[in-house]
Amino acid sequence: MREPIDPVGLDFERVSPKLVTVRLIERGLGALVLTTVASLPLVLHLTGPWRGLPAWLAWSLPLAVLLAMIWRLVLIPRQVRAIGYAERDDDLLICGGIFFQRVMVVPYGRMQYVDVSVGPVERAFGLSSVKMHTASASTNAVLEGLPAAEAARLREQLSARGEAKLAGL
Amino acid sequence: MSAAKGYDDGGAVAPQSNPPGPAVGFRTGPEDQWRRVHPVSPLVRGWLAVVGLIVVFGRNSFDDLVQAIGTGGRHRPGGAPVWLILSVLAAAVVIFAVVFFLSWFYTRYQVTDDHVRVNSGVIFRQQRQARIDRVQAIDVVQPLLARIFSLAELKFEVADAGKSAMKLSFLNLDEAKRLRAAILARASGMRVDPDQPSAISEAPEREVLALTPGRIAGATLLSGITVAALVLTALVVGALLGTGSPALLVVFIPLLLAVGAAYWKAFTTDCNFRVAVSPDGVRLHYGLLDTRAQTIPPGRVQAVGVTQSPLWRLTGWYRVHVNVAGYGADHGDSGGRTVVLPAGTEAEVMTVLGLIFPDPGVADPVRVFTAGLRGKGRDQGFIHSPRRARLLDPFAWRRNAYRATDTALLCRHGLLFRRLQVVPHERTQSLSLFQGPLMRRLGLVDFELHSTAGPVRPMVHHLDLVSARELFTGQAARAASARRTGRPERWMEERPAGPDLAGAASPSSADKDNQYEQ
Repeated sequence: MREPIDPVGLDFERVSPKLVTVRLIERGLGALVLTTVASLPLVLHLTGPWRGLPAWLAWSLPLAVLLAMIWRLVLIPRQVRAIGYAERDDDLLICGGIFFQRVMVVPYGRMQYVDVSVGPVERAFGLSSVKMHTASASTNAVLEGLPAAEAARLREQLSARGEAKLAGL
Repeated sequence: MSAAKGYDDGGAVAPQSNPPGPAVGFRTGPEDQWRRVHPVSPLVRGWLAVVGLIVVFGRNSFDDLVQAIGTGGRHRPGGAPVWLILSVLAAAVVIFAVVFFLSWFYTRYQVTDDHVRVNSGVIFRQQRQARIDRVQAIDVVQPLLARIFSLAELKFEVADAGKSAMKLSFLNLDEAKRLRAAILARASGMRVDPDQPSAISEAPEREVLALTPGRIAGATLLSGITVAALVLTALVVGALLGTGSPALLVVFIPLLLAVGAAYWKAFTTDCNFRVAVSPDGVRLHYGLLDTRAQTIPPGRVQAVGVTQSPLWRLTGWYRVHVNVAGYGADHGDSGGRTVVLPAGTEAEVMTVLGLIFPDPGVADPVRVFTAGLRGKGRDQGFIHSPRRARLLDPFAWRRNAYRATDTALLCRHGLLFRRLQVVPHERTQSLSLFQGPLMRRLGLVDFELHSTAGPVRPMVHHLDLVSARELFTGQAARAASARRTGRPERWMEERPAGPDLAGAASPSSADKDNQYEQ
């Protein structure tokens, strides 16, 4: 299951499979809202006030949105399986993405602070997200779907190592 | 390390502005010793508001007033009576005076051994405190009006991506300089003799290069402004010929004004550009009307970018930018602050690089950096995109390359717009590899090195999978070992024991031979 751009010889920890359910719920709700909004012209067209709208446009808009949303939902399990992280002696590696793959290394000595956040859906499944910040704004190191205990452990670990290794900016 | 170590060799050059003895300023006093900025400051800061009010008010009433006085107190019918005009004037003066006085009265600052503190605000009070050893850069800024009063603003930057941490506006120029020296001395970790705190003299400054006004003018003329002006002119002329309506000529007026203003701004900002070096870091002086002196202490430069536009290839000039954590992305009024060399020849670029990175980490820096500036292919150990990257980068694939020296990573880009980015291993924040679907098909990977906010975004495009992976893991390891042996925040303190790189990178190396000169 190792993606080709990842560094060789490393075992990545995977995030909790429950993240699939969390994302399905969150994105499913989003998809529902978006599709409803996109269906408004269709409703107006069918009920009368917007007769002038061509029928094909009225139907294809919500359909296109719906298809895109379904595609996004279908991808979720694979996306979640692609997320991984590995703690090394000096840095933390994070990988993710299927079509657009990314692997990132964040040195402990460069970490400025660590955020742990829990959303309502995440909380229901006992998951949290950990975000690491360096002095660079382009460091976009987020790990979603960690079990709460693992997130707490990681936070403590990162803070402790960061303090020990911090050297200026 | 003794108090004066590092400044020893330059003692004779120390400025006279700081006589020995109980001089004023910043002595490491008791906690409650607060100082105020110069009383004229609010006026210098608020003069635009005053002038604006005078213009608006004056336009309506000045005529009335003159006329009324001229005619012996009788005002012209319909005009405001004299007493009203005068009382409004008096009220305005009083209001301004009170506001200015309060804002001056409530602005106080303090420099202790470890902190700079500024309290300001009348209704909304603000207390700011910054750690001196976290200083990223110090600017002494003199707007035109402040220069007339011989005042200066002191800006103390910490790593907050561009928001100015501490702004002391305005101080006497001499005091601003002394304060800067005191802050830098404390930040450098020099021991300050508690009995003689004023013995801190400004670190001697040695001018390294100065750009002539001709160079700045030439650089301005060959800049994007000219290209934009030509394109716009061509558009207008085209429209003129197309429609045949001479009314379109009116368009030229704002166009001329805008172009003139852009030229003027570019020229006056960079005019008199001088680069100097002192044990406290690189110091840049520039500006024609508003002048600015920037000090970047050693080790505060996060990344360097050298660029050359196609027009500048005619003259062989380069522009050098830096990322400094305190400067941020260089937007707004502070524009141009990230430029450490507005237009320099290749030799001058090397000189500046030598000041910023005294230790290039390679035996033959000139060759390597020249290959980075205008080289192509595998010359000097650069590793470039594979041949199959031609599909995505038909022209520049042999320019897209990297080279890691012992101390820094060089990233090279672009055929028309040449760019070279240099990041010291110590300053590596985080790294990432990226691959999109098309790149996956071709077996290519983008490498990005994250630096602090700034004009330089170090990247290497479309690398071969194997070399990208090697760069990624190699760079992570190099960054880790550089952090362990890195120089301390306080640059005058001894570096922690470790592999001895000190010879090249110690503070006094600024006075050594520049390794980038042949």
